[in-house]
Amino acid sequence: MLQIEKVREGDALILQLIGEVDASNSVLLDQSIQESLQPEITVVVIDGQKLKYISSAGLGVFMSYVDDFSERGIHFSIFGLTQQVGEVFKILGLDRVIAIVPDKSTAIAFRK
Amino acid sequence: MIKTSAIPVGKISLLLAILIWLGLLLVDLVRIFGVINNLDSGISEEVTWGLEILFFFFTYFLYRHVFWKSKQVDFVTLLWRGASTGLFAAIAGLLTELIFFALGDSKIGKDPFLQTIFYHLNFAWSSVFLISTALLWKHLILYQKTKKVVKQWQVFELSMLAALFFIFFNHNNFDYSFLFALVILLVISILLSANLKWIPYLNFKEKWKTILFLFLILLSATLLFYRILAYGNEERFQINLTDNLFLMALFGFVMVYGLFSFLVTLFNLPTSSVFEQKLKEALNFQKLSQSIQPEENEEHVLDILVESCISASFSDGAWIALNPTEQLKIQNPLRFIEPSTLTELTALLPAEFQNWTLTPTNELQPYSIRLKHPSYKSALLVPLLVNKTLLAQIVLVKEVKEGFNKEMVNIIGTFARQASISVENHRLLNQAISSERYQEELKIAQRVQKALLPLQLDHPSSFDICAYSNTADEVGGDYYDTYQVDEHRFVLIIGDVSGKGTSAAFHMAQMKGVFQSLIQMGLGPADFMIKANSALSKCLERNHFITASIFELNTLSQQFRHARAGHIPTLWYSAHAHTAEFIAVDGLGLGIVRNQNYENHVQEVTGNYQAGDFLILLTDGILESRNDVGEQFGYTRLKELVEANSQMPPLQLQKAIIDSLHQFVGGDGMIDDDYSLVVVKFK
Repeated sequence: MLQIEKVREGDALILQLIGEVDASNSVLLDQSIQESLQPEITVVVIDGQKLKYISSAGLGVFMSYVDDFSERGIHFSIFGLTQQVGEVFKILGLDRVIAIVPDKSTAIAFRK
Repeated sequence: MIKTSAIPVGKISLLLAILIWLGLLLVDLVRIFGVINNLDSGISEEVTWGLEILFFFFTYFLYRHVFWKSKQVDFVTLLWRGASTGLFAAIAGLLTELIFFALGDSKIGKDPFLQTIFYHLNFAWSSVFLISTALLWKHLILYQKTKKVVKQWQVFELSMLAALFFIFFNHNNFDYSFLFALVILLVISILLSANLKWIPYLNFKEKWKTILFLFLILLSATLLFYRILAYGNEERFQINLTDNLFLMALFGFVMVYGLFSFLVTLFNLPTSSVFEQKLKEALNFQKLSQSIQPEENEEHVLDILVESCISASFSDGAWIALNPTEQLKIQNPLRFIEPSTLTELTALLPAEFQNWTLTPTNELQPYSIRLKHPSYKSALLVPLLVNKTLLAQIVLVKEVKEGFNKEMVNIIGTFARQASISVENHRLLNQAISSERYQEELKIAQRVQKALLPLQLDHPSSFDICAYSNTADEVGGDYYDTYQVDEHRFVLIIGDVSGKGTSAAFHMAQMKGVFQSLIQMGLGPADFMIKANSALSKCLERNHFITASIFELNTLSQQFRHARAGHIPTLWYSAHAHTAEFIAVDGLGLGIVRNQNYENHVQEVTGNYQAGDFLILLTDGILESRNDVGEQFGYTRLKELVEANSQMPPLQLQKAIIDSLHQFVGGDGMIDDDYSLVVVKFK
């Protein structure tokens, strides 16, 4: 089960992921990001405090946006990952590509 | 040996009937000759009567045979045969009378022999007509055979048989016994005449023909009856053949049943269209239930449905409105309606007619509405629901107000439901067929993919190796392989494609291609990853990546070189230290960074191994498998398990890990991911 809460704070878009992202609902995550991408957004933040599990398909969704965001000048970061989920990011090496920050204030500080 | 061949009953009967009639004529002529010449011919009346009875018998057999042969002939044709026989007999009788009228008082006109010959001819025609018609009536009466009707008919036949021989007791006197017997036979005839079940099966046109032919039969019978009565009143003939109880009763029977049939058919005429309509509805219903064969389509059902609805409601026009979201096309949606009229009429329909998204909670009934249109005054909307969505609506229009009565609405509702069932069944059947095909395709894919994983793992005698792989779906994205570079160098690889199922399986096949081609170039682990990343970047979808772990083992120097691309770290058990550790080395998954930059994200480590050491390469399916409280199998559990079972040979250790995993997940728990395991033990 995955629930996605969207919050706008100025030109920052914060997506809170609640539950688990797996092969069956990774499409939902993709759609959700796609829909919320208003042109004025400069910061996209994933709130992972309540993300219990993410499968490779879910990681693939984030990965697919990395280049897209950098081309559009959007700063993308993730915060609040649990130890277990954070480990998955680290093993894959995604932490080298996506900014994993300690908290929300750090994440949205990238706003212009 | 005597060959038994079929006896030509018809021909023999015909021949005998003619011979007996000639005999009868001869006997009577001889008698007249005797009377005229005051000679006693010595022939008693009983001889004539006997011959007469025989004549009746053979005529009966002849016609019984004729009817037996014409079982499949329809009623109207049979009635026409009866009518034509009657007409022939009646016209022949009239002609005889005309001839004698023309001859007048001339000598030939008064000639008793000539008169007798004609009398016998008339007798023969009348008898043939009466007996054949009686047998025709029998055929009609017994159309819907019940025990009761068959009994009634048998009683009548036996009574008629008795009537044949009545003449021997009564000596042809018209007395009370004659009258009494005649009345009894007439009563039986009337009782039999209640069996008219064949009439409703005639259609309107057939009924008209039936009425005409029955009228002709009745007319002929009446004319013949008058002729015979006229003969009876004249005392010209020495012997009276026609004042016979059998013949009189036959007349009665033929007339009574003919009259009943005539009247009932006549009164059935106005309602016959209703009967025909019901029959047509039943046929339409049957057609709808059988309409879809697998090779036919849903449009075919709609076609039949529309035709059935029009015919059940006598509509002046109709059209089919299809739900635009359904992938349906129909050749000709308009019936008896011009496209311009359609636009006018659509505008007059209620707004909800256009609302296809409406999801009806219960079954929709057809409903009629009034129209304010110059030509059409009422309409019936027939919704067709399939799987709770509105597939189509049929609009029937009539030129009269309130044109659709309750019965029409009911029967059309039934038609629509039946059509829905047909369409639903058709869809289910197609789904079943295609899903079966997919299953077959997947089985092939499974077979092909299994062949991609090596059956034999290249290894020297200095280490043992075994591998296991399991997929969550029919096909999966896990990959392992081995390659012998030279005498002392061996390469092991394990990989995991993101996602699972078919797409993962395709990428896994690409991975195999990349490995088998790049590894032959003699690349070291890190270089291999860089080249592999570059190759896969060009063919992986943007949201897919592959993780991999690669080892190059040198059995001579007992060293390994290792690189990791985002893959689960490999567990290395050191026999010397009695501990297992996951080899820590940085490395980004393949296909995540798709440019030269990747070089900065991959590292290579080297290590020395000893005899008794283990390398356990695995995919995340093992570590991420969860038990019923959501806890993951995890690194620690695996590490402890390997440390505890370090004495085992590789295959046994592998089995221990898999068993432990299944035990952890729980008896019924499914491991919802692909998982693979390669175990290497150095000797």
